[in-house]
Amino acid sequence: MDYEQFLVVAAKEHGLGTGNLHFVHLFPSPEGVAGACTSPKTRGRVAAKFLAANRRQTRNQIRGPHSALTDFLASNNISAAQIHEDYQRRLREAETQANAEQQGDAEPEHAADNDEYEDDAGERPDERRKRKRKEAATLAKIKQSKEFARRKARRIGEPDDDDDFIAREMMRERSRPLPGQLENCEICSKRFTVTPYSKTGPNGGLLCAKCSKELADKEKKSEPKKRGPRTSRRQNQSDLLDGIVQDGALSLVEMCTKKVADNINDIEEFGDLPWQLLRRLSQILSKRRALTPRTLNLFLRPNLDFIDIYDSGKLETDDFQKIFTFMPALTHVNLRFAGQLKDRVIDYILDRNLKIKHLQLDAANLVSDTRWRQVFQKLGSQLETLRLSNLDFSLDDDTVEVMSRSCLGLRRLKLAHCWKMSDRSLQAISSLQSLEQLSLQLISETKTENLLELVSSLGSGLRTLSLQGFPLADDRLLEVIHDNCKVLSKLRFSDNSHCTDRGFVKLFENWSNPPLEFADFSSTRDVDNSNPDGPTDAIGLASNGFNALMRHSGSMIRKLRIASCRHISYATFEEVFGQGKSYPHLRELDVSFHTVMDDYLVGRIFRCCPAIQKVVAFACFNVRDARVPKGVALIGGLRAQDPILVQI
Amino acid sequence: MSSSESPQAEYVTLVSGDGFEFIIPRSTACVSGTIRRMLDTSSKFSEALSGRCVFENLSGVVLEKVCEYFCYNEKNKDQTNVPDMDIPPELCLELLMAADYLDT
Repeated sequence: MDYEQFLVVAAKEHGLGTGNLHFVHLFPSPEGVAGACTSPKTRGRVAAKFLAANRRQTRNQIRGPHSALTDFLASNNISAAQIHEDYQRRLREAETQANAEQQGDAEPEHAADNDEYEDDAGERPDERRKRKRKEAATLAKIKQSKEFARRKARRIGEPDDDDDFIAREMMRERSRPLPGQLENCEICSKRFTVTPYSKTGPNGGLLCAKCSKELADKEKKSEPKKRGPRTSRRQNQSDLLDGIVQDGALSLVEMCTKKVADNINDIEEFGDLPWQLLRRLSQILSKRRALTPRTLNLFLRPNLDFIDIYDSGKLETDDFQKIFTFMPALTHVNLRFAGQLKDRVIDYILDRNLKIKHLQLDAANLVSDTRWRQVFQKLGSQLETLRLSNLDFSLDDDTVEVMSRSCLGLRRLKLAHCWKMSDRSLQAISSLQSLEQLSLQLISETKTENLLELVSSLGSGLRTLSLQGFPLADDRLLEVIHDNCKVLSKLRFSDNSHCTDRGFVKLFENWSNPPLEFADFSSTRDVDNSNPDGPTDAIGLASNGFNALMRHSGSMIRKLRIASCRHISYATFEEVFGQGKSYPHLRELDVSFHTVMDDYLVGRIFRCCPAIQKVVAFACFNVRDARVPKGVALIGGLRAQDPILVQI
Repeated sequence: MSSSESPQAEYVTLVSGDGFEFIIPRSTACVSGTIRRMLDTSSKFSEALSGRCVFENLSGVVLEKVCEYFCYNEKNKDQTNVPDMDIPPELCLELLMAADYLDT
């Protein structure tokens, strides 16, 4: 490519006018540079650099005539004058060296008395005398300066308070090259341009950029690692979301447990660590996704009767088998995210005649219906707890029927997100008369009649009833609960859009059940975009229902969740949390998506609930500057970043 | 005994299995539930009477760290954003067992 053409193209690429190009024409050997630049990009960059450098020079300085080479060298930080000087110096040196060789070892003592300036050894005697004179004059001048007096005063009594020593030191400092000049690096002896950032080497000389960087790196490494002195704000917020608002230090157990989890890869075995701590460690490791086949080994102890792995996602089929090989005494099995738990592991369990009483498996989707049936038939008589979740491949109605026929001693049953269960499963579960805790969350829609039958047949014995995902259930269900359930302490009925406020009032009024400790009625409301205010007859737990609930259960309630019950009015909240009302056991309250909630109401809640620890208030846009008592976590709200701590 | 008649002494002595003694304020030692119950005068335990607790199963290194924690806990009482104490990794398992035993 023609060089001129190249520059025009390059200048256009970089948005520069062609007006500057005449400078470049002076460049002696364009091919030298342009020829070396193969890619258009580099070519553009090089040319642009030339142009920019030229522009800068013409703008900033007024100069006499220059050769193009000098200009180019200057633009690359090379000083022609310096090259010339260096050349002259080298010539001189060579000459003196030749002279010195001729003289032989004529004056060795002369060199010895001046060992500080060895590098000047090549100078002629008369030059040396001249320099000495100059140096003496400078030293005398320095000795009279204020700075010298100051230094001397500071160093009195120290071994190096000799006048000459200090003066020489100052002189050396003065003669250190200024930024922009050239200097040889003390370590690698390369020539480099001094910048304000150049570091001083171990012997007082300057270092080139590369050596400076290495030195800085080394210093950084040797510095004791600065530990985060305060937990970060981020960590605080994360803790807050977990409901942890704690004053003072963590307990030593918790701190050590975390530390153990940090160093889990260096730990060979836990020794005789108390078993309570194993569970906590498993939780922490699971949360950090550090439960691998290797770390699993730490938890396998033949004498223990439980295993809790909260995240088995990284375990392979053989690892599951290993659990049951090493721990023959197992009665509690809790394996979540057990994706690789396959039929052959189930076969193995059944072969080993394990005495499993409490079985909790999550996401064990590679287990077929045949195996599930075998499990129920073989272990059914001894099973007390069965919790299965996230099964979309197996556990169909037939299997659930087998389960209901076999597991007659079952006291606790939880089936959540099991896709294949439907009406027949509900009918089958109705026959499990020994159940005390029942929790269902179905995916497929079911007939309300089956649910009614289920609750009416089991209700009298249930202490816990949790029904999620029955959107079509209506007031009849609430009636059945009212009529049959007499010993409930936990009731969850959420995600429903048919039960009315009146139904809820009827449920709680004159209910022979003792006060609930746990109540969750979140998301009971109707969702109809064409009618945003909802029907006049309120759907879901609304003002009257909420009032009735608190009258019935207020004295014992510990956890209350009423998120998204959108028809509870401001006046009702004001009344429920009014003067003189007290809910002594209420610890957790979820009032998310209640747009009427404001600072005043939140303040009332804090006053009425002396034991409160956690208030969840997402999307409560009027909660702005609530004064949060010490030790209470207010989650959500507008100003989540700086909860104000006050003592009531 | 004189110490049981006089109001509780201000300092207590913790002794490790290998014979190291740590004399620390009573209030800091009572961060540990186990030690608090040991020193409870109504219990008439010999520890309560003498103000001296011997931990045969704790080594001096571990007990030193435990005492450090007691002081750290006392210092950071009622404070938010408390930085974690520095625990050497090689000690953490032993310390964990000790902490569990001492109920801290």
